Amino acid sequence: MGVENPAEVAKFIIRSRIADPLFVYSYFSQLPDSNYSKLKYIISSSVTEACNNSVLLLGPRGCGKTAVLELVLEDLLKEHPDMISVVKLNGLLHSDNNCALKEIARQVCMEHQLQFSKMASFDENSKFLLSILRECGLAHKTIVFVLEEFDLFTEGKQRLLYSLLDAMQSVLSQAVVVGVSCRLDADQLLEKRVRSRFSHRKLLFLSSPGEDFHRLAEHILLLPTDSRLPNDFRASFNEKLLNILAGEEFKRVVDQLCYSDSTVSHLLRFLFCAVCHMDLSSGSLSIKNFKSALPSIQRQPKQEALKDCSILQLHLLVCMKRLEVKEVELCNFNSIMKEYKRIRDSFETVDYYARNICLRAFEHLLQRGLVSFQDSRGQGQSAEFRPVKLLISWHELQQGLQSFPSCPTILHKLMAREG
Amino acid sequence: MAKVESPQVSRRTTRASLNSTPNSKAPQEYSKATNPSRPLTIKDLVFCGESISLDELINSFPGRRAQILELVQFLGPLNSPMIPLFVYGGASTGKTSTVLYMFRHLKRPFIYCSCVSCYSPSILFESILNQILLHRKNESGGYLSAKRCERPSDFVNLLGEALTALIDSLKGNMGKSSPNGSMVYLVFDRLELVREWDKSDSIIPLLFNLYTLLKIPEVGLIFISRASLDTFQSDTGFVEPFPVYFPDYTDDDLKQIFMSNQANPKLYSSFLRSVLSQFYRITRRVDELSTAFSPLFKKYCEPLGDLLAVPNGDMESKLYRHLQPFISLYQNETCTISSQPLLKDRNLRKSVFKKSGVCETLDEIDFHMSTSAKYLLISAFLASRNPATLDASLFDSTGGTDNRKKKRKVSEKSVDQKEAKEQEILMKGPGTFPLERLLAIHQCIASVGEYSLDDEELQNDGLRADGSDSGSMSDILLQLSSLCSANFITKGGSCPLEGSTRYRSIVSEDIVLKVARSLKFPLSKYLYRR
Repeated sequence: MGVENPAEVAKFIIRSRIADPLFVYSYFSQLPDSNYSKLKYIISSSVTEACNNSVLLLGPRGCGKTAVLELVLEDLLKEHPDMISVVKLNGLLHSDNNCALKEIARQVCMEHQLQFSKMASFDENSKFLLSILRECGLAHKTIVFVLEEFDLFTEGKQRLLYSLLDAMQSVLSQAVVVGVSCRLDADQLLEKRVRSRFSHRKLLFLSSPGEDFHRLAEHILLLPTDSRLPNDFRASFNEKLLNILAGEEFKRVVDQLCYSDSTVSHLLRFLFCAVCHMDLSSGSLSIKNFKSALPSIQRQPKQEALKDCSILQLHLLVCMKRLEVKEVELCNFNSIMKEYKRIRDSFETVDYYARNICLRAFEHLLQRGLVSFQDSRGQGQSAEFRPVKLLISWHELQQGLQSFPSCPTILHKLMAREG
Repeated sequence: MAKVESPQVSRRTTRASLNSTPNSKAPQEYSKATNPSRPLTIKDLVFCGESISLDELINSFPGRRAQILELVQFLGPLNSPMIPLFVYGGASTGKTSTVLYMFRHLKRPFIYCSCVSCYSPSILFESILNQILLHRKNESGGYLSAKRCERPSDFVNLLGEALTALIDSLKGNMGKSSPNGSMVYLVFDRLELVREWDKSDSIIPLLFNLYTLLKIPEVGLIFISRASLDTFQSDTGFVEPFPVYFPDYTDDDLKQIFMSNQANPKLYSSFLRSVLSQFYRITRRVDELSTAFSPLFKKYCEPLGDLLAVPNGDMESKLYRHLQPFISLYQNETCTISSQPLLKDRNLRKSVFKKSGVCETLDEIDFHMSTSAKYLLISAFLASRNPATLDASLFDSTGGTDNRKKKRKVSEKSVDQKEAKEQEILMKGPGTFPLERLLAIHQCIASVGEYSLDDEELQNDGLRADGSDSGSMSDILLQLSSLCSANFITKGGSCPLEGSTRYRSIVSEDIVLKVARSLKFPLSKYLYRR
């Protein structure tokens, strides 16, 4: 077993860890007084006391709401086998009432090995739901309804939410409704009658600050004892890693990372990129990997698009910018061509291109996303007449021109003066 | 899309044609059977044929070394899980071909679907399911898909079941020396088109969240798009995939691309030296440059008798002088594909010698239109161009002659204001008009046309314009609807006050001038602005 193999195994282990959200968020389950423990308490108390409950998990995307919920459910299923059954719905897929009931029926049938009929009508499915709730209540079994993308269920008449929460009001049923949403005001979206049946419990998941990242990174990156890894390799890998994580440079990189987005999923993408670049010959992560991963994560698409423009397109952009500065009311392709002609007349160094070529370049700018139409629907007009607007600011355009290789100096001059 | 000369295969190729190596002269035998009745197996999800090494892969794509290495590292060794990947860049930068060739190098099973051919959600879902379930649409099944799938909930359920079944069978094959691994990759191409679908605000988050919805670690997702991730708007956002950027080619990369597979490299390099820098200022896209370069190169080689000759200094300058007038002509042709190449060639020779520099357009229209349709087109153009208040003066009973008996002396300022207003109207584009106005104008000018045509076409016994009645009403309406479907006239929504539909003419002035010239119709007299 040469040096190659353990490094590959190590890479594989870390990659599988990062791609598995349950492992990542198991770190949070170890913290005291975390959302994990609170959620576990809520659900387990309603299971053991045979009562109904509802709770909302709110927080920005990528903060681990679903993962923590999965961990809680996994633990509870181990602790109380046969007393819990889980039905999972997603707002992206099942926001329609019929769809949702069908999915509930399907999942319940799968779990209890009942016959599921795809042709069952909406009434049959709702009756089935009520009878299942009654049966489970009589058997002292709690059903946990997980509603992901909860805000999408609140569109329309909210019939599913009403029927679920209403069914929970009866004495016989034992159900817990857990809503997961990335909108922090999800409970304000509920109708009055739905909100009155909702227990108003909310758990907020906020993105953690920098020091927590440090420990999370350790949790993910430190290699465990594994039969495929020789002990000395593992020890040296972990030692080098701890040195890097404690260093100043890593702190700076993480700070820069957290400026834009401090959610856990952002950090995971960063770690994944760093691990992919790990050099197999040296057999360990180095600070270089982390530093090179940072620009791959933090992209500036408009600057990239500007760098890919041709010179004619830069001319058109500068003309548009000048029109914007002059606050011309109507900015469409014709007015841009007029400005272009005016620039050509005053400066001889500007190239002359026919109208068709400019129109083609203009259409490419539209496809790139640097320029867009002001109205989204066409009104049947061709591209030359529809009003357009620039999607980049003066500062970005100037930055792009400066970093453009071999940019004609005339453009800098035109950007600088406003005449 | 034009076929690219470089070894980079055009994006529209299917997996079967990519089985041949790009640089070999002898065509490879396609292992994918053309026999439609043979059922598909798991092996069809992997590229067959000889494999290519990493160096060969990098050499086939000049300028893409960094991106290829990053992609290969991202996919990792066999069976390593990955987070979803988002490959983006401009058009014709080699994203799709790089990804597909990379799968050829890695030899892993993958499913490919493009949002161009799958233009609605149900077609997209069914296409993916067909490929995973190894179902081929054939005559015996009535060309139906394996499963009907319209709703996203059905799609996720069916996809999950199909993928687990497929992965289990792949794992079962692992013992039998199958080095393809047990991971399946889904490649979604041209994702930026999904933004224009009807249900785009639910489909886009669905696709991006697919990895978390499926919860299968042996699936890898790769999204390819021409637009960057920030242009995918969504109300509440989605799980962001990892971005990989494909920048446009630089000058040197383009030279390398065009130089490969050339019969006479020295000749072509001298051609490129003279031409590339001029075209590079306009566009950097490989497909547009290649459509321009192939005919230009033929023109460049014309004075040379022997195509394999190596040009020296004077020869080069002589060739360049011969080429010079055609360059600006072909700069305009970077996107158009002529329908009648022979006719165009002949006319080009005539028109190029008239004026050098700016490209010349053809003098005649190169499609056929009936006379009544021509009159209708002209009247639509006039209706769109002129404001309605001027109709009375332009089209009065004297046949529209310039009626300027009473000329008031106008001041400079009001003339300037009037010109500015005319310019504004021109900028805003063609206006809309109701059907009645169109018919009225058509009646006027068709009768004018009848008078002017009468003398000249007396000897022409052939089909005369039916000017006596301006044709019957149903003929005109038929002509109007055919002009609408040919996109010369668009039909707008109805005006809320009047309640009738309004039309708009969207042809450019050049075409209408040509049409009028063919009818010998004095168009300029009727235009509002001279």
